[in-house]
Amino acid sequence: MKLRIPLILLGFLLLSSPAFALDGQKILQQVDRNLEPESYESYRKLIDIQPDGTRKEYVLWTAKKGRDKVVGLFLSPASDKGRVTLRLGENMWLYMPSVGKPIRITSLQSVTGSVFNNADILRIDYTAEYDVEGAEEQNDQYLLALKAKTGDVAYDRLKMWVDKRHLLPVTIECYAASGLLLKTLHFKDIKDFGGGIKRPAQLETDSPLYKGYKSVMLWSGLKKASFPDEVFTLNYLPRIEELRK
Amino acid sequence: MWPLVLLAAGAGAHADESSFDVSQFEKKPFELNGYAELKSENFALNPDAALYKLNYYGQPQRESLTRATETLELAGKLRHDIATFDFRTHSAFQQDQLGHDQSNKFYEAALSLRPRSDLTLEAGKRALSWGKGYAFNPIGFVQRPKDPNDPQLAREGYVMADGDFIWNPGGALQTLAFTPVLLPSTSDVNSDFGASSHLNPALKVYALYRDTDIDFAWQGKGSRPARFGFDFARNLKTNFEIHGEWARILGAVKPVTDAMGNVTIEVSNATSYLLGLRYLSEASTTYIAEVYHNGTGYSDAQAGEFYQLVDNAFAQPQPNLLLQKALALGQTSYGRPFAGENYVYFRAQQQDAFGIVYFQPSVFAMLNLDDHSFQATPELLYTGIKNLDLRLRLYLLHGETSTDFGEKPNSRKLELYARYYF
Repeated sequence: MKLRIPLILLGFLLLSSPAFALDGQKILQQVDRNLEPESYESYRKLIDIQPDGTRKEYVLWTAKKGRDKVVGLFLSPASDKGRVTLRLGENMWLYMPSVGKPIRITSLQSVTGSVFNNADILRIDYTAEYDVEGAEEQNDQYLLALKAKTGDVAYDRLKMWVDKRHLLPVTIECYAASGLLLKTLHFKDIKDFGGGIKRPAQLETDSPLYKGYKSVMLWSGLKKASFPDEVFTLNYLPRIEELRK
Repeated sequence: MWPLVLLAAGAGAHADESSFDVSQFEKKPFELNGYAELKSENFALNPDAALYKLNYYGQPQRESLTRATETLELAGKLRHDIATFDFRTHSAFQQDQLGHDQSNKFYEAALSLRPRSDLTLEAGKRALSWGKGYAFNPIGFVQRPKDPNDPQLAREGYVMADGDFIWNPGGALQTLAFTPVLLPSTSDVNSDFGASSHLNPALKVYALYRDTDIDFAWQGKGSRPARFGFDFARNLKTNFEIHGEWARILGAVKPVTDAMGNVTIEVSNATSYLLGLRYLSEASTTYIAEVYHNGTGYSDAQAGEFYQLVDNAFAQPQPNLLLQKALALGQTSYGRPFAGENYVYFRAQQQDAFGIVYFQPSVFAMLNLDDHSFQATPELLYTGIKNLDLRLRLYLLHGETSTDFGEKPNSRKLELYARYYF
């Protein structure tokens, strides 16, 4: 009895020490690296499904470097082939071959007209855009509360449920500054892409603002790659296609 | 048995949505794409307008015109190692009550070499596009003017040699790029650029500085007077972009006529500038507005003298000397689009209007600030069918006599096109 009380007190001290508190920032950093290497290339298919079942599909090739440089080249359909989108931090541009010059676009728009907006299509590291405000355990998942670092980020707040075993997102709710739920992202179908990359190959999104509509993003051919800095510049956009092997 | 069949069918449907075959998108050594377009235009003509009289001189007077145009545009690429040859052709067949016309052009055909990732060298026919303006580009020194009714249409290029060198210093100066150009003009090459036997050097320097796009542009004296300028573009907020251009032409030449056809050549330094903004609302409505000053444009009074010249020319027995002068001036300086001094361009487009996905109605307007004449154009665009664009437009022109839009050849136009991409 005499020894039990100090042991109980010691237990409380240990449990409340920083070493045992959840490090949300570390979890988020690991989520970023588990989703994609810092620099990679991949192919993606975007599928917009309307309430009547009609589908419109886009295929794009993406290259990313570092935390916040992403470029996307549309390969299909023919009406969009050759279009290129570039993101540098919170700056975004769209290049159309017929126009011959890039124009600035916003993260909230969608170059495909789908539920996925440009911020979803040209996603950069979550740690580049969000701070972790809170982290808690919920059974076999972590729940991270994320707040946008600046007012330029597409979503003001995120609620991210992270699978504890894989440290990969399962569900993300995206909120506006007003508290309005803009959309929910569902990550599915964990696949081994090789090269140590094991991550969800499918992302579905739905939005209360687009009732009955669903958009799906599928990944293929995701692998580490390195690119020179000049690839992520406006002058290089007409030649992005030549980067593909 | 049936449960197994249903299970297999269900599994097949799921597999279609959960994976895709990348091999069909592998890069090929040769690619060919393009579009085919059918367009129908119905013009309500303006027989009293000065430009109608000049454009339809010698034709029986008519109140309307119906025109059908078939267009085929092909874009191809041939690749080998660090070299790429790309081309874009434009073929059009046009028919109306006045006759028919056919054209076949190479808009672009150029060889590019990429010895390093930061260096590209090109030679051939290339359509460069300088400037940040949506409808107007004062610093568009080495390109043909765009059609503000369709700013995103491909344009014919010029034969040139050009290069691109990209540097990423880092820090506040995120990118620096140099684009030198040589645009030779002879009697056979680039003859419509200006006087022949000139090399026409030009240079654009682009910088991304503290999240702002900035370009400096220069064109040396040659076929055209020397000129220089700059542009910028920046997002003030995520959904709010501002852009501008400024250009000065040294010794710009402008023929100015009086009502009796006495033409004087004015030579002066002309300054043009543009300020514009683009805003995306929460309801996904995009607004674009631009104010444009054309330093080589005609003032209200100068334009009025030209319109009076046309009236005087047609008041006399034809043909006559006044008519010859009016025809010549109407085909060049006074008859070009946006020949005036001060304009406003405005566009509003709504994405997924009325809950119909891929349905985009819009309206755009162009106003001459000096004479208050304008053109307003409502438009309906539907892109919901794969690789097919359907567009309906109604052009409405309004202006008193002796005004910019009041003296255009037509007062209204209804246009419908279907464009199929392949």
